[in-house]
Amino acid sequence: MIPASFDYVKASSADEAISLISEHGDEAKLLAGGHSLIPMMKLRLAVPSVLVDIAGVRDLSHVEDRGDHIAIGALAKHRSIETSDLLIAQCPMLAHVASKVGDPQVRHRGTIGGSLAHSDPASDLPAAVLALGGSLIVQGPNGQREIAATDFFTGYFESALAEDEMLTEVKVPKSPGTNWNYQKFNRRAQDWAIVGVAAAQVDGAMQVSLVNMGSTPLRATAVETALASGASAAEAADEAANGTEAPTDLNASPEYRAHLARVLTKRALEASGVE
Amino acid sequence: MAVGTDSARVDAVDKVTGLALYPADAVPKDALHAVVVFTNQPHARLVSMDLSKTVASPGVVTVVTAADVPVNEYGLTLFDQPVFIGLDDTGRSSVPCDVSRWEADHLVVVVAESLSEARRASALIDTEWEPLPMASDVASAKADEILVHPGSSTNTYHTLQIRKGDAVLGMEAADVIIEGTYELPHQEHAYLQVEAATAWIDEQDRVTVETSGQWVHEDREQIAHALAVDEEEVRVRYAAIGGAFGGKEDMSLQIVMAVTARKLGALGINRSVHCGWSREESIVGHHKRHRATVTARLGATSEGFITAVEADVWLDAGAYNYTSNKVLGNLHLSVAGAYNVPNARIDSRAIYTHSVPGGAFRGFGGPQGAFVAESQMNKLASKLGMDPMELRQRNALTDLSDGITQSGLPEGVGVTRVIDACVERVPPSEELPEYPPFSPIASLPAKAEQLRQGRGYAVGMKNVGFSFGFPEACEADVVFHGDADEERPNRVELFHSAAEVGQGVHTALTQMVAYAVGLDFESVDGFFSDTSTGGDSGSASASRLTFMAGNSVLGAVEEAEKAWADGARPAAGHFRYKPPMTEALDPETGEGQPNFCYGYMAQAVDLTVDVGTGHIRVDRVVSVHDVGKAIHPQMLRGQIEGAIAQAHGYTLSEQLVVENGRIQNPRLSQYLIPGIGDVPARVDCVILEAADPLGPWGARGVSEMPYITYAPAVTAALYDAAGIWINKFPLTPSVVLEHLASAEI
Ligand SMILES: Cc1cc2nc3c(=O)[nH]c(=O)nc-3n(C[C@H](O)[C@H](O)[C@H](O)COP(=O)(O)OP(=O)(O)OC[C@H]3O[C@@H](n4cnc5c(N)ncnc54)[C@H](O)[C@@H]3O)c2cc1C
Repeated sequence: MIPASFDYVKASSADEAISLISEHGDEAKLLAGGHSLIPMMKLRLAVPSVLVDIAGVRDLSHVEDRGDHIAIGALAKHRSIETSDLLIAQCPMLAHVASKVGDPQVRHRGTIGGSLAHSDPASDLPAAVLALGGSLIVQGPNGQREIAATDFFTGYFESALAEDEMLTEVKVPKSPGTNWNYQKFNRRAQDWAIVGVAAAQVDGAMQVSLVNMGSTPLRATAVETALASGASAAEAADEAANGTEAPTDLNASPEYRAHLARVLTKRALEASGVE
Repeated sequence: MAVGTDSARVDAVDKVTGLALYPADAVPKDALHAVVVFTNQPHARLVSMDLSKTVASPGVVTVVTAADVPVNEYGLTLFDQPVFIGLDDTGRSSVPCDVSRWEADHLVVVVAESLSEARRASALIDTEWEPLPMASDVASAKADEILVHPGSSTNTYHTLQIRKGDAVLGMEAADVIIEGTYELPHQEHAYLQVEAATAWIDEQDRVTVETSGQWVHEDREQIAHALAVDEEEVRVRYAAIGGAFGGKEDMSLQIVMAVTARKLGALGINRSVHCGWSREESIVGHHKRHRATVTARLGATSEGFITAVEADVWLDAGAYNYTSNKVLGNLHLSVAGAYNVPNARIDSRAIYTHSVPGGAFRGFGGPQGAFVAESQMNKLASKLGMDPMELRQRNALTDLSDGITQSGLPEGVGVTRVIDACVERVPPSEELPEYPPFSPIASLPAKAEQLRQGRGYAVGMKNVGFSFGFPEACEADVVFHGDADEERPNRVELFHSAAEVGQGVHTALTQMVAYAVGLDFESVDGFFSDTSTGGDSGSASASRLTFMAGNSVLGAVEEAEKAWADGARPAAGHFRYKPPMTEALDPETGEGQPNFCYGYMAQAVDLTVDVGTGHIRVDRVVSVHDVGKAIHPQMLRGQIEGAIAQAHGYTLSEQLVVENGRIQNPRLSQYLIPGIGDVPARVDCVILEAADPLGPWGARGVSEMPYITYAPAVTAALYDAAGIWINKFPLTPSVVLEHLASAEI
């Protein structure tokens, strides 16, 4: 299918991009890797009249050690997250989850900023950043603010980003070691998750998030509460679908998704060292 | 280059480097662009159509309607479909043209200077439709309250029956009876190259269509019929073909583009016109593998000897026949399997519904039949506690068998041969080997206690060539070049219409000619798939071209040798090969000789199932084939591996959703064909070469056979692994899980 016609401008800096989207209001959309936006435009689910291409913006592809956390530029590609030595050593879960996104072509184009800003409940990276308890730096005409990942995903393909704001950086706490796991269940080897579960131990507590179990990427609060009160992996996993509203589509019913959430949560917890 | 060795494919360099031109690649610069507008109405009467805005839209050159088709009807074996739905047809059609019975019935062709102008103008067509009641599946069509083709009193338009011995007595004599109802799903062909065609009037005033299909002469015949002209006034040729699998056997763009070119010609517009479908248009706009429901009973003694088979087959033909009546015949024969069945009652019916037409697809009814026959045999073996291959060996057809059609089988029956070779390679008593760690798509290997391994077998046979008395022949022409005083030719030209759909037939024919003449491969120049240069080859289907086209080129070489010996320079040879006649079956008993050759196959499948999620991974397939002679072993293995990959999708992941006559998932993001990470990790090909007495160098055929036995081998392996029988597929994880839950595993 063919998208509706649109104008196209290239921004060479974050500031320029922000002033361009402020100028065009809700008609404008940022274009990063284009691997979510272009498919949406082809299906005419998104009909922006102006695309502001930020792929050429320099200085936003970094992966940097900032003491207790790692800062990742919004334009860092999935592939560079997957292969970052720093992340592999200090936040191995994020590197691992990036390696499970789509196929190599997708990982060479898609960006972490695009993936988070898109707020697709079926995406992998939002779940990882949620489980890690990361935060997002966004910049608007009036400066920067930091939003906790748990506050960022507000609705179906909706985030806390204002129309004139751009996501510039993602922060994740250092979380080396092996007390983490990501379970991605897809019908084909290289595909979107039917359901996914990310589990990570951060500051001694197990944090768990779910992919494709509701209208946003979400934390499995029922599981976390059970674990905090001493439940076993199996007992806590039984809670995985509680309070969720799993979608139904051609791939799976809500019941099957709820079942997967329980099975995968149990596997993820056990693999993260929870008995 | 000897037959039996792996030469480089004649099309390899062009295809790998991108030089090969597929039908959407070779669009002339000044071509006009066409859009075929579908009715988008699974069942409705056209009340009015106003084209004035479309015609007035910028860039529009003309709009082609039913009025432009002299004989507005189409059908490979029955004329039951209008070329265009319209109110202004010429009246020369055997079907009412004002009723759309399928969402992809053609309404008009809009021709414009550019594709975007044609699309824009298409959106301006103003139609009024009167919705009509739907009979969108077999259950609702059976009642005949709503008729798909009101000319007849019933939707059940084609029936076949077999009455052999006495099925009632046979069942009484049985110690065990296996019963089951099997639901066979649709499948989309999903060829890489979607439908596209360019049409023009050539310098000899012929309507010319360049496209991709499976039989240039059939395309030409159908075009000529609709245009009411002699076949000589029509020329069809094929560009490179990016897959077909039966999905390009029926007409997609052929007729409408010919009609369009003719109309442009009549308007004095001397330009070619191109149309290419999108993936969505392709999936919505062409037929599918048939869905079917089969209820079957199998009776046997406690020693495992079959006493009787009963079956009721319902084949959902969809809105139009396409090749459903022929597919039904194949399914009908194959529900009894490759076994001696002393008593049989089989009733098979094709029924019209307001849904996507079923038609040709690799195996042509064979996969549906084999799923029933082999599932029944596997269940029988497990009920009797018998080795499944020993059970098959006891009942296997041989050269002495009368067969289900009571007329004997063509010489060289290979059922016991493939069973022996399969058992030798994969002994049923053997422990399952250790396969690499299970990675059930999820990133973590599941715990061992959540995994179950199993092995399943299936055996079958598939006809090579057209069946049931359908005229079967294949023509070839060769020209030997060389000087008058030379003893042997130094160059040969081969003219042949066999469609290269990716299977490698052009390479195989070149190789055969080179070998037969005693030249090297490079000294044979092939000219293929053009009705203006080659004779009628028949289609690229029914696993027939190696056998049929091979015999045709051997005959042509022999004729040219005679001319050469007589001193002709160049020396031409023409030959039309005709195999032994086959017969339509007796309408009461089903007696008759339906086929002249078969290929035989046996498969063993090892799989692992994750009982936590229902996900299945196939670890290894051993695929045993009696091919008569492997002309080109590498391409042969390609056919086996490719067929298994396609059957894997059919069995495990592909799920076409059709609701009220509309396809709900016409995209490859929603219709899941397997990727490289999903297909079986290992396929071992075992090739047997028991020569067919009539085949060229003994060759039979192979391209459908590996497909046919895969699904029942997988379900048997799942039973072995987890103790559940599933009578339908695809075996999506949620379906598997439901069955596991009801079996409390
Ligand atoms: C075939 C295929 C398979 C895929 N499989 C998976 C998968 O398995 N798992 C998965 O998680 N994803 C998958 N994806 C999606 C992929 O990861 C996308 O790349 C990613 O979701 C979006 O990143 P992008 O850079 O392409 O964003 P774009 O498509 O360019 O943008 C997406 C949205 O985010 C906005 N946006 C982009 N950058 C910013 C920014 N810096 N600030 C504010 N807003 C911004 C855009 O305006 C747009 O609304 C797949 C994509 C394809 C095409």
